[in-house]
Amino acid sequence: MSAANSSATSTAPAPLRSRGAGALPYILSLPALLVCVGILIPFLTAVFYSLERYNLAFPQARKFIWFGNYVKLAYSSEFWRTVEVSLLYTVFTVGFELLIGLGIALLLWRRSFVTNLLNVLLILPLMVAPAIASLMWKLMTNANFGVLSYIVTVLGFPNFRWATSPSSALFTVVLVDIWVYTPFIAILLLAGLRGLPRQPFEAAELDGVPQTFVFFRILLPMLLPYVLTATLFRMLDSIQQFDIIYAMTQGGPGDTLMVFQIQSYLQAFTFTNIGRSSAILMVLWAITYVLSKYFMSTWTRLRERAHGLA
Amino acid sequence: MSFLTVQRLSKAYKKQEVIQDLSFTVDRLETLVVFGPSGAGKTVLLRLIAGMIRPDRGNIIVDGRDITDLNPEHRHLGMAFQNFALYPHMTAYENIASPLRSRRIAQSEVDQRVHEVAKLLRIDHVVSHLPKALSNGQKQRTALARSLIAKPNLILLDDPLRNVDAKVRYEMRLELPQLLRARETTVVYVTQDYKEAMALGDRIAVLVDGRIEQIATPREIYERPANSRIARLFGDPPINLLPVSTVPGSQGAQIRVASTDVALPGGAGARDGCVLGLRPEDVAVGFEAQPGAMPVEIDAVTPLNDREVMLLRARDGTEIFASAPQGHMAGSGQRGRREAWATLDLSHSHFFDTAGGARL
Amino acid sequence: MKSASFSPVRGILMLIVAVFFLFPLIWIVLMSFETNGDILRSPPRLFFSPTLHNYVSLILGKLGGGVGTMTVDYMRNMMNSVILSVCSVVVSLILGVPAAYAFARFKFRGGEDMAFTLLSFRFAPPLLVLLPLLRYFQVIGLYDTYFGLVWVYQLITLPLVLWIVRGYFEDVSEDIELAYRLDGHSWLATFFKIAIPLARPGIAAAALLAFIYAWNNFIFALILGSSSVQPVTVGALAFITASGIEYGQIAAALVLSVIPTLVLAIFTQRYLVEGLSLGAIKG
Repeated sequence: MSAANSSATSTAPAPLRSRGAGALPYILSLPALLVCVGILIPFLTAVFYSLERYNLAFPQARKFIWFGNYVKLAYSSEFWRTVEVSLLYTVFTVGFELLIGLGIALLLWRRSFVTNLLNVLLILPLMVAPAIASLMWKLMTNANFGVLSYIVTVLGFPNFRWATSPSSALFTVVLVDIWVYTPFIAILLLAGLRGLPRQPFEAAELDGVPQTFVFFRILLPMLLPYVLTATLFRMLDSIQQFDIIYAMTQGGPGDTLMVFQIQSYLQAFTFTNIGRSSAILMVLWAITYVLSKYFMSTWTRLRERAHGLA
Repeated sequence: MSFLTVQRLSKAYKKQEVIQDLSFTVDRLETLVVFGPSGAGKTVLLRLIAGMIRPDRGNIIVDGRDITDLNPEHRHLGMAFQNFALYPHMTAYENIASPLRSRRIAQSEVDQRVHEVAKLLRIDHVVSHLPKALSNGQKQRTALARSLIAKPNLILLDDPLRNVDAKVRYEMRLELPQLLRARETTVVYVTQDYKEAMALGDRIAVLVDGRIEQIATPREIYERPANSRIARLFGDPPINLLPVSTVPGSQGAQIRVASTDVALPGGAGARDGCVLGLRPEDVAVGFEAQPGAMPVEIDAVTPLNDREVMLLRARDGTEIFASAPQGHMAGSGQRGRREAWATLDLSHSHFFDTAGGARL
Repeated sequence: MKSASFSPVRGILMLIVAVFFLFPLIWIVLMSFETNGDILRSPPRLFFSPTLHNYVSLILGKLGGGVGTMTVDYMRNMMNSVILSVCSVVVSLILGVPAAYAFARFKFRGGEDMAFTLLSFRFAPPLLVLLPLLRYFQVIGLYDTYFGLVWVYQLITLPLVLWIVRGYFEDVSEDIELAYRLDGHSWLATFFKIAIPLARPGIAAAALLAFIYAWNNFIFALILGSSSVQPVTVGALAFITASGIEYGQIAAALVLSVIPTLVLAIFTQRYLVEGLSLGAIKG
């Protein structure tokens, strides 16, 4: 009865058993799976639309045309204008938000009553719906009574017409985006900063290492996963911005602010051209898909760190 | 009659076999200690028996009933965990009462039994506290009370003394065997502390890399380790493992250890190019040259309980541990002296194969 | 970066940050208490006699200035926002909490793929699915219904609940659940008596944040509903473009629309970082 008797029996492995976990995880996640499927159906429909000549105004002309819509987009200056505006919008918003957000995070790094208070205040713009924020700024830049219009007039630019002028419309919506989303980056980076180990900085201070060196060689590399996650997150939102621009100018004046989703909205609801609208969205989807793959890998790494998984 | 039978159990994670074709039995009312280094698969084995994970192959039979496919709640086992696993949102009382709640036992009886077992474990004064208000020792006593209260026939203890302080560990090491005997239960006890294993186990199963390398009484394991790995795991300071060769023409009656020829009583066991296992207490150190003694230098001396542990260095550089009762090296004049003579007492020696480490 | 003494430069920078991010909110709040005359006065004045007139007319639904009144049921938009947000969060919790538990506890075939697919929806252009959904909804009668909108809102609220709550379930020790089951309790009892209570802070945080995201959504209802189900975000836009509405009333409408989320923000503060990063960074 004492020793292990495996050697006494045959050396062939014991028969394989079925795994016990069974159906439970599937039952638990079934509703979530159904939601997945419920989204995949319209997604596939959209892919199909994008391959069709499909205009609600001419239902008889509906026809499967393979990549006809995409080819037409490639030759359309209007589409390239959309790409350009979207990229400009993304680069400006994410670029400035990153710089300002990092600055704010560094400013609030050390805990004190004032920084804690500012930390709370920063949350507020983030809680305002982007569409509502846009309307607030629309009131502020109103030519008749807007406080910002008044201020630029006082500063000597009476002709600065904010979102109503093609030359300053992009600036205005970028400003609104910065107001809404900079706190997002600042708050994430601040959490990252406050989670960093202190020893390298204390050691550097003791050794009298120059601050620029500390910043570029110690702080930024350590903060990089947070910067990457926040940046990709914002890029994903920015490239498909709709609410702020729609609420401010609906894409105008002219085609100044015709970013991807505004352009496709216009194609679908004004020109009833579902095929073209879907093709534009598919291009946008391809961009966000690539970005989201990058995002998820950096995000997963952060998540594993936060939850001590490996 | 065996009470728990584990038959050819295997479990792999990502193709890595954590438990490999494991078989053993535990008798009714016996305490089997599963001992092994961390990562040996001890915790996985316990979770397989508990039913938290299912084996890829093999069976687990308790009291004649195959429980391999049963859910944990139907296995009627008690278990205490290394990290206590108390329910943080329930008082110690509710933690202990939990096994009775699932059995829909009347409140008056729950009350009586909780107080009985709490008293037995000397925590009756803190049962109204939440776990976070308990000391680690009290937490583990609460967890033990919870595992005992429903009078399970089999109790699994997963290194329960790991996270309590030394004093509590010492107390519990004395208290647990009585307690478990009083509750008349079969126990599987996991630990990586060989002293705990020796103190608590009726038998010890040494688990290394998912295999049982030896299963025997504590005394047998200490005196006749199945291989050099096991020999090293039991004993502090660890056993000396010294390569030896036979002295030509001595018919095995003499062996050469660390460039010194030593007579081998009984003349058995050794063969050319094997490893001698010699417990530090079998190495005597003196300052007088003696026949058969090995000239050594004393590199370091550390007290350990009532003994003194010495690290010796032979002429050829071989390091040897010796352990002697405190004061054995008496004579203050000898203190600080480095040159000494070591006498190897080979009557309790073990010989192991150099390659596989198997006992010869 | 870590100079011990207070520096005036830091103080000035902090002041600039505070003014930039707070000023628009303060200005709108002030404006909502002003009469049209005060608003149009140039230069703007900081001191004026505050009036509740804008809020009163907004709540009564009778808007307009001297020329005549028109009936705009902004309170209905507020109600819609409440209904849509609350229902979306409840549905997300019912669907998402068990799934989060499954993803946290079991390694099952396709599990990770499903979790990541749900997350990736969060980043797909919403219009892409909204156009086909609009066609489908019109056919099956879900257009302009709370039910249809709540369903689509899962696109934003479900990944949030799933990934935040999953993190909390992962942090609940498996041993605690095993202990409870060995006590003789079923899987279901363990889920409700151990897993859920221990993950409660995460569930609460996810619910609050999902509410905020749902409340702030704009595009779903813009496309899939008419004014009868549209929330404040869409309602406010219609408001600002309609002629004849006093500016103070618009400001009051904007203020009303942001109050619920601003109030919730104070409660969610602790979990905000975790929520914003979809559970990747702990606050």
